[in-house]
Amino acid sequence: MTHGLTIALVLTALGIAGAQQPASPAQAPAPQPLPVKKPATDGKVWGALVYATNDAASLTGSTETAPADFADMQSRLGKVFPYQRFEIIGQHLQDVFREYESWVVPTKDLFLKVDSKGPANGGGMNLHLQFWRDQQVLVKTDTVLKADSPLFIGGPKWRQGRLVFVLILQKGR
Amino acid sequence: MKTPPEDHDLIRWLDGEMNPAERTRFAARMDADPALKAEAEAMQRISTDLRAHLPVEMPLPYADFFNSQIQVRIAQEEVLSHEPGHRTWLDWLRMPTLVAATAAVAIAGMIIWQQGAQGGSVVLSTYAPDPAVQARSFHSEEAGATVLMLDGLEDMPADKKFVTFRIKHTENDHEAATTTLYGLHDEPLLVVAKDARNQPRLLAATPRG
Amino acid sequence: MPASTAPDPGEVPDTDLVKRCQAGDTRAFDVLVNRYRNRVYAMTYHMIQNETEAWDLAQEAFIKAWRAMPGFKLDSSFYTWLYRIAHNVTYDWLRKKKIQGDGEFDDSRTEHKVAAGAEAVPHGFLAPDTALKNAELGKRINDAISKLSPEHRQVILLREIEGLQYEEIAATVPCSLGTVMSRLFYARKKLQELLKDTYENAA
Repeated sequence: MTHGLTIALVLTALGIAGAQQPASPAQAPAPQPLPVKKPATDGKVWGALVYATNDAASLTGSTETAPADFADMQSRLGKVFPYQRFEIIGQHLQDVFREYESWVVPTKDLFLKVDSKGPANGGGMNLHLQFWRDQQVLVKTDTVLKADSPLFIGGPKWRQGRLVFVLILQKGR
Repeated sequence: MKTPPEDHDLIRWLDGEMNPAERTRFAARMDADPALKAEAEAMQRISTDLRAHLPVEMPLPYADFFNSQIQVRIAQEEVLSHEPGHRTWLDWLRMPTLVAATAAVAIAGMIIWQQGAQGGSVVLSTYAPDPAVQARSFHSEEAGATVLMLDGLEDMPADKKFVTFRIKHTENDHEAATTTLYGLHDEPLLVVAKDARNQPRLLAATPRG
Repeated sequence: MPASTAPDPGEVPDTDLVKRCQAGDTRAFDVLVNRYRNRVYAMTYHMIQNETEAWDLAQEAFIKAWRAMPGFKLDSSFYTWLYRIAHNVTYDWLRKKKIQGDGEFDDSRTEHKVAAGAEAVPHGFLAPDTALKNAELGKRINDAISKLSPEHRQVILLREIEGLQYEEIAATVPCSLGTVMSRLFYARKKLQELLKDTYENAA
């Protein structure tokens, strides 16, 4: 019953016309919406999808630029991945909600689900991350993310190089 | 104090535990006894409301962390339960998993210690559902970064055109279990919803009217 | 029987997954966890009314199920078997809490008072002139459930939420049929008393 109602709401949200809502089993009035309040956040993360390559001709021509605190992106990524050019395809700065999932979506094709488990002892944030490609999860990980210590996720090969997902915890508030 | 048999009848009727003959007799009793009928209706209302407000399923918070923790604990228990001289046939069957689990836990432990010791971000555990994918993590002092390398992934098609966004903020709709991502002018760009198998689906949002 | 838990067509049946688990396949177990975690969580949550503890107990239930998997003879559905494990884990936790003198629940000594028609005074309810919304009725119901003793909470949830027949409830607890009926009767009368103001205000 409740499961059916949940599905019906999702179908409605997906804009699927004619979604049938099951009849409520109780003779109760329709639920009133509860007052909206801003959900608590544990910080912000910056996520980016980066194309790493040695072949300048295969670059996409993206005009995205790295934020100030990752200005040395090229050199840092170059120390890990054997490429000379690193192009930001998409980026997204996102609040990390304390009690709900957060989505970091620099592109629709490779994105991250982030669940906060609260602050970590010794600084940083306890996170559960899922790296998704379309409707397939590539990896799930429990990670402590600290400011000044980006996470580089080496992703699938593409064109003449590789896609890398970068996740950085923003400093302070 | 023992519950009188009449009270048993009332709830047996309520819960459909009576045979047809008993049901007919009880219905006649209710018709003849308005107080009994009122009590039956009040109890029925309680039942209905309980079922309406106590769902059979509730969304588990941090669901994926829940799963990953179970996997970690299972792996740990596999290692701890490995005692010489107490093996059953099932242990022999599971030996490859045991060895892999032991190695995985030991290596993970080393990596966590290394990463933590260097003060950087730490990858505590990983799980790749596709057995062809290998996940390994390490800390790069030079890069000042922690790396999670995924090998064995299917290549992205070369002609792939990536759709990117300028997202300003997001909003969660808890009743509908969706997240809407809004652009720089507060226009809805994307809706993240979960399908029946809990897989996220990213859908273009319909513009506001 | 608990309400239908058949997987969607096209999904691997539970029995296949169980056999793979029994051969040590933890990925197969992950699929079973995905399939039933929301149900198990709902059950533990209704029993103990605390999100964090319910989460831990749900996890404990799955871990116990993994350990017990070699001994599962597939003589019932996987969910029925899992459900019993989760139920025992939760009930043991509740009883331990009660023994430790947590004092949350009404003692079953008061049972005879309620059966004789005495009024139980609910605490912390809204003033009579406050209008109630459906969400608040839900909260009141949860509050009322939390005031039942573990034994009474157990039978009412097994009956109303899991939809078990009396014989199944008796086998799960375990207790006699007579005890099932007495406890159900008492639990419903008690809930009626606890929700009396709520229903009067909503009228």
